[in-house]
Amino acid sequence: MDAKVKDALDNVRASAQELHAAISDAAAKRGGAMKVDLEIVQKKAKAVADSARSSMATQNDAAKKHLGEAVKRLEAVQKDAAEGLKATGRTFQSAVRKTLADARASAQETSQAVASKRSAKSKPKTNGK
Amino acid sequence: MHNYIAVVFDNEGSAYEGLHALWQMDDAADITVHGTSVVHRNDWGRFEVDTKETHPAVATAVGVGIGALLGALAGPAGAAVGAAGGAAIGAATGGAVGITTDLVRADTRDQAGYESSFVIDAGQSAVIADVSEDSIFLVDERMRNLGGIVYRRAASDLRDDEWFDPDYLYPYEYIPPRYVAW
Repeated sequence: MDAKVKDALDNVRASAQELHAAISDAAAKRGGAMKVDLEIVQKKAKAVADSARSSMATQNDAAKKHLGEAVKRLEAVQKDAAEGLKATGRTFQSAVRKTLADARASAQETSQAVASKRSAKSKPKTNGK
Repeated sequence: MHNYIAVVFDNEGSAYEGLHALWQMDDAADITVHGTSVVHRNDWGRFEVDTKETHPAVATAVGVGIGALLGALAGPAGAAVGAAGGAAIGAATGGAVGITTDLVRADTRDQAGYESSFVIDAGQSAVIADVSEDSIFLVDERMRNLGGIVYRRAASDLRDDEWFDPDYLYPYEYIPPRYVAW
């Protein structure tokens, strides 16, 4: 398999994984500190979504589909985080959980995109050349 | 192939070596790892899940999900047991899964030949992982070299499972500080 060469898609996946870890860590903090982190999360999610969009053009159809889903989830992360910034109490906790769930889903979709790319590369050529 | 695997080891340290090896294989693009977690079964038969222990709601959710996932991996009969275990840990610490998957068999469902139910004995640990692999042999060989036994179920099969939810696995390599030795 074509290994060791990290391309744009690998970097998108790594960024989505980092986003999930950052939100998970932020969830351990108290209200004020967590809200500061949510502002950062919003910006990170937008950056990852932009990277995912820009890497779509060079991917196969299966990877594109997963990246499209990842972008939707990353947009949801931005929305959830924005709601969390305005909320308090249980609504705030709910927003944090939704932010984490959407970040997890975006990491899963980018990972599936990477798997689609790797699988396509590993398949033997069928034209006999 | 998109599979869920449980790799059973005789001790916690070996399980974390196995976890690390899976992510190394991902880094080398030999497989793609979508999520992982590590569970232990103590000498009294109770299951414990290593979680980040961040926000209680998040930590509990991870534990509950792993309970259900263990049951789903164990097969149709185990799914109900896993769900019950998941509920139990939701009310507990978020780290202990009160289920027994011993001798649970998945033979009531039509499954591919490489799939099998799994057993975690008291004192053993297991890596639970969501992976895409073009061949099962790479993971099997690497884990065997580390002393692990691999059990698999196809993701397509588990998706039909009422209690199945993959979101409770960490989508990156999470190793609790006490195990970090690499």
